Amino acid sequence: MAVTTYSGAEQYNFDIVKKFAVMSLIWAVVGMFVGVYIASELAWPFLNFDSPYFSFGRFRPVHTSAVIFGFGGSALFATSYYVVQRTCQTRLISDGMASFTFWGWQTIIVTAALSYVMGYSQGREYAEMEWPIDLLIEVVWVTYLILFVGTIMRRKQPHIYVANWFYLAFILATALLHTFNNLAMPVDLFSMKSYSLFAGTQDAMTQWWYGHNAVGFFLTAAFLGMMYYFVPKQAGRPIYSYRLSIVHFWALGFMYMWVGAHHLHWTALPDWTSSLAAAFSILLLMPSWGGMINGIMTLSGAWDKMRTDPIMRFMIVALSFYGMSTFEGPMMSLKEVNALSHYTDWTVGHVHSGALGWVAMISFGSLYHMIPKLWDTKMYSQKLIEWHFWLATIGIVLYIVAMWISGITQGLMWRSFDEFGNLQYSFAESVAAMMPFYAMRAIGGMFFLSGAVLMLFNSLMTIRQAKQENAVLEAKLAAKLARA
Amino acid sequence: MEWLMWFSKPENTKPVALIIFFVTFVGIVLYVYGSKNRSKRLETYRDIPFLDEQQGERLGDQKDTKDKQ
Amino acid sequence: MNFNFKHEWIETNIGLMAVLTMLAISVGGLVEIAPLFFIDKTIEKVEGVRPYTPLEQRGRDIYVREGCYLCHSQMIRPFRDEKLRYGHYSLAAESQYDHPFQWGSKRTGPDLARVGGKYSNEWHVQHMVAPRSMVPESVMPNYPWLLSTPLDISDTADRMKALRKVGVPYSLTQEEYKANVVKFGETVAPLLHIPDAQKNLLEQANFGNYDGDRSGISEMDALVAYLQVLGTMVDFSKYNDDAFVDNR
Repeated sequence: MAVTTYSGAEQYNFDIVKKFAVMSLIWAVVGMFVGVYIASELAWPFLNFDSPYFSFGRFRPVHTSAVIFGFGGSALFATSYYVVQRTCQTRLISDGMASFTFWGWQTIIVTAALSYVMGYSQGREYAEMEWPIDLLIEVVWVTYLILFVGTIMRRKQPHIYVANWFYLAFILATALLHTFNNLAMPVDLFSMKSYSLFAGTQDAMTQWWYGHNAVGFFLTAAFLGMMYYFVPKQAGRPIYSYRLSIVHFWALGFMYMWVGAHHLHWTALPDWTSSLAAAFSILLLMPSWGGMINGIMTLSGAWDKMRTDPIMRFMIVALSFYGMSTFEGPMMSLKEVNALSHYTDWTVGHVHSGALGWVAMISFGSLYHMIPKLWDTKMYSQKLIEWHFWLATIGIVLYIVAMWISGITQGLMWRSFDEFGNLQYSFAESVAAMMPFYAMRAIGGMFFLSGAVLMLFNSLMTIRQAKQENAVLEAKLAAKLARA
Repeated sequence: MEWLMWFSKPENTKPVALIIFFVTFVGIVLYVYGSKNRSKRLETYRDIPFLDEQQGERLGDQKDTKDKQ
Repeated sequence: MNFNFKHEWIETNIGLMAVLTMLAISVGGLVEIAPLFFIDKTIEKVEGVRPYTPLEQRGRDIYVREGCYLCHSQMIRPFRDEKLRYGHYSLAAESQYDHPFQWGSKRTGPDLARVGGKYSNEWHVQHMVAPRSMVPESVMPNYPWLLSTPLDISDTADRMKALRKVGVPYSLTQEEYKANVVKFGETVAPLLHIPDAQKNLLEQANFGNYDGDRSGISEMDALVAYLQVLGTMVDFSKYNDDAFVDNR
């Protein structure tokens, strides 16, 4: 595609983008494999194998960390470094710092996964890493912030493009959330064990302020940044409305931080807090859909390409799922709905319609766009991209439908009474009723995973192909020089 | 810390949050959409992602997609 | 808003943008979290809630280690079905010494907030080793290693000291001990005294013999001791039905 290439190596640091892009694909496969495995453990418990290391409770954080921070995080590092350089038309200010964020981040994911399996956990969802790993995250993150902001300060383009605002908000918010949610007292300097600074209600509020904004900023704002660059690029037309992006950027950033407490409806958290969170959750629909509309309208001028370009299809499906799950979310934050949906698989399904449908699909689309440009070649196989798209889409649908049915069934079984006013079902009966849906979910996950495997293969072959092309080119050049 | 108690009452917090948020929101919207010139100027920044490349890299260049109003 | 304002100021000044973004994202957390530390009503005044004994706390550490919170909640909601199934709804006071909280977010298995005393120790041990031998429908993993792994008690006091630093009223000095006697009574206060941590742990484990095996203290001893105390500290027969409505 890029026939006339600017020589990337000098103008931009693409090496770091390449590294993160490849690791992102590897973590996708690893993380989703673990996801399929733990999903299967719920359907077929013998898979726990009586082993502490593979038991669901220790393995589940491995899944969440590998996909959120390994796959999602690496994809964000890769795309943010790519986007910030290209929209500022300048090179990252420091190759050393960039390299440090790469090795630091990979170390974090690996040590986190190992530590969970070994039994070290803070017992906070999505923040299970114990304090030494948290400190490393802090250091890497501050380096990331300095590198990102420093690069923007050195920009040749006077204006900071909207994608960078979203990346900036994501970096700042993650720093804030990570710091306050992980305040803890280690047992001693040489012990991995620590105790949270807060207790009970305050601890719950802090954790879900973190938990929901990990979704809001790590998995939403940052991927909107990705959307604001890669959707226009792939569609070949600028974003639908820049003004809309201004409005929804500020609204989204402001409102997300209020909604975490909707995870604590009907709990011992005071009512005023969770009611406030519910109100903001409803309002949040507007800026969320602002972003979705901006993306979809950008694509809408290029519907003809939808038939021929599978990458565009990844993006449109991503935006559609974004729209759907940001509608489902506010609905589930209504107290009446939450009374049914909370504690059930419905929540799990909701998370995955966002995580698979939006986060993973927009990442796949962006990476498919970026990889050929980074290695200055074409994707090895268009057909495989096509296959990946359908596997992923079918996988998501299976997953979400299974969780909707099982979640609502669970919720209804728990609250149903017989004619004498006694509970109609024992808890165990509700567990037994879940079995077919747990199996269906695992199969949906397998579909999605096989798509990711295809992508990894396709990308590695693309890289190999690029190297061969390069070798041929160099040989020709050498031959020419020899003749001269 | 007594004043913090005031915030704990939804009947206080709700209208205040609503007013502050709404005024800011209306302010931003009025600013962004309020003036033709400003709108035009803001919309020129859409093209930044396309500035760093030679022609031909733009996939959609069968037609000129630089559809500035 | 003054009319010379241009959003471009922000869009061309990364420092300004960072500051404004920080402002925008800080408000929500501040308004919702900070008051929880100052409003007295957040945590009910209720009798009976005490910090965990050393053995119970070590059991809780194992509960956290094994990720039990990923499938079991410890937070009963004020609904009729939950009252019938699990008991009185959970109070904030009941988790006031829980660092970290373990309310959970998912019930793949049942809520455990009031599981204490519902089953015998033997039931728990058997259920933990082979859940499906007790509940055929269960999808819980087997935890046989809890029975075979001796409990590491070497850093019990250090753990309590760390908890003391974050606000749990374990006593280190005589003064603190006396304060605990006033607050928790003569029988409980000695259990919270850090210098006696190891002794207290051994006594409770040997006396309770939670895992049914007298030859040593296993991780199972600690975990069952923890499960058996869950939800048992408050005597709800002392309070009438709407005693806690005001705190919600």
